[in-house]
Amino acid sequence: MSRHKSRETEEQKDPEMEISSMIDCCFLLLIYFLVATSLVSEKKLDVSIPGAPTNGGAPPPVEPGRIHVASNGSITWNDDMPVGDVYDAGIKPGTEAFRSQRNLPQLVEVLKTLKEQAVAVDTEPIVMVNGDPSTPHQRIVDVMAALAEADIHTVGLNTTASE
Amino acid sequence: MGKKKSRPVEEVDGSPNMSPMIDCCFLLLIFFVVNATAMTVAKDASISMPSAVSCSDLEDANGCIVVNVYADTDKMPQKAADKYLQTYKRSDVVWGVSDGESTKGFSQDEAQLLTDFITKQKEFYKGKNLEDKDIRIYLRGDVATPWERTAAAIRCAAAAGVSNMVFGTLPAR
Repeated sequence: MSRHKSRETEEQKDPEMEISSMIDCCFLLLIYFLVATSLVSEKKLDVSIPGAPTNGGAPPPVEPGRIHVASNGSITWNDDMPVGDVYDAGIKPGTEAFRSQRNLPQLVEVLKTLKEQAVAVDTEPIVMVNGDPSTPHQRIVDVMAALAEADIHTVGLNTTASE
Repeated sequence: MGKKKSRPVEEVDGSPNMSPMIDCCFLLLIFFVVNATAMTVAKDASISMPSAVSCSDLEDANGCIVVNVYADTDKMPQKAADKYLQTYKRSDVVWGVSDGESTKGFSQDEAQLLTDFITKQKEFYKGKNLEDKDIRIYLRGDVATPWERTAAAIRCAAAAGVSNMVFGTLPAR
């Protein structure tokens, strides 16, 4: 008789799962990933190194462009045309001077012209970037950004000996 | 007489239905877990990233071999320099890499070790059926890093047979 009674009380219990702790964990993870993904705001600049020539060693239809970045950050196009001023590492990010230093309009212009010449003969333009060993990485990235703006992605990267 | 009999209020269950909320919550969780890719593991916060005007979003981090290129410790902020020394226990490391299990640092004289690491990672991604064009070097250079270090890392990548590079940047503000 007592056995029957205990079985009855067991049946009366509502078999619910305790989900409040699971929801707590779930919310914590959600907030973690929300914050983590919003912090990671890095962007990219794609560059492809030119491979071996496929035309049997014949000169390319469009003369490759040459960019030289000196150790002080000044940029020269084809050895004689200055297209970027001296780099100043002291300029603070977020200022107008910082934004204007990142823009290289003269370089973008000559790169776009090179791109048009290459497209006209149905080929990809090639640009060689030579930097002095001590050139700051930021200045090379400025050049890469100009190349990306001109839609040029095949870039030869070299180091040149300091003059 | 014409009035309808109102339903007894006591029968309505007042507890909110939690299951759709949990469903949404799980969906959001999965979305953010997938978005926060494994690549974040190899990123070193002690690097001051360069800024660029015309950069694009990194849509797919799969196939990226992250190489952190460090500046000299005297050019780093004190907090970043402390973290660098704590991680590598030496001050001559110029390239930092991670395979998800351990973080390794190589000096400029250890270019061959960097080439070997990139070759190993390339084979790992090839084993996951990724094509050559999808395997890229993600270069995270510090703003003050001398170009010779980045160029040497690119030469190591070329020696390992990886020709696609991605320069990590922040949008210029």
